[in-house]
Amino acid sequence: MPRPPIANQIRRLRFEHGEMTQSELAERIGMTRQTVAAIEAGKYSPSLEAAFRISRVFGAALEDVFQWTEAG
Amino acid sequence: MSFRETSAWITLTSVLLCFGVYFGSLATGHVRAPSFVTLHLLLLCVSALVVLQIGLHAVAACFAPRAARALRDEREQLIQMRARGLGYYVLMAGVLALAIPGHMEGSKIDLMNFALLDVVVASLVVSAAQIVMFRRGV
Repeated sequence: MPRPPIANQIRRLRFEHGEMTQSELAERIGMTRQTVAAIEAGKYSPSLEAAFRISRVFGAALEDVFQWTEAG
Repeated sequence: MSFRETSAWITLTSVLLCFGVYFGSLATGHVRAPSFVTLHLLLLCVSALVVLQIGLHAVAACFAPRAARALRDEREQLIQMRARGLGYYVLMAGVLALAIPGHMEGSKIDLMNFALLDVVVASLVVSAAQIVMFRRGV
C-alpha cells in the first residue's frame, strides 16, 4: 500500500504529554489502539474529525500534529 | 492483534474448514449428490460453522471484552467496506459464471453447489482482504 503524503507528530506529542500510551490516546478519541498505531506509523490517514480529536487531546493546532509532505 | 482481525481469522478458518469438508467430500467422491447423505453433510457443515463461529467469537470476546463490545472505528469500517467491495465482485463473477453449468447438462444440485461455492469463495475473499488490510494498512 502506498503511504499517504501526511506526516504526523503523534509519537513525539504522546511522550511530551506524560508518556501517554497509544491505548490512552485511542480511548480518548474513541478509536482502537491498532488504529492509533496505524495513524502514527503513517499507514492510515484519519478523517478530518479524528484529526481534530487528536489535536484537541494534545491541545495543539492541527498543523502541529499533521503535516502535508510535498515529496509524498 | 485486534478483535476485528481475530474475528476475520475466525471466519476465514471456520468457513475454510467447514465448507472444505463439504466440497472436499463431493470432489473426492466420498458422497454423491443428490442424496440425503449430501444434504445431511451440508446441514452438518453449516451447523458446525455456526457453532464454531459463535464459540470462537465468544472465546475471543472473553480475551478482549471491551473491544468486542465497541463499535467499529472509522478505519475498521473502511476496511470492512473495501473488503466487502472485493467480495461483491467475486460474488457477481460467480453468479455470472452460473450460466455455464446452467446451460450444460448439470443437475439442479450441481447448480446449487456451484452457487454455494461462489458464496463461500466470496466470504473467504472478504475475510482474507480484511486480514491483509489490517496487516498492511489501507
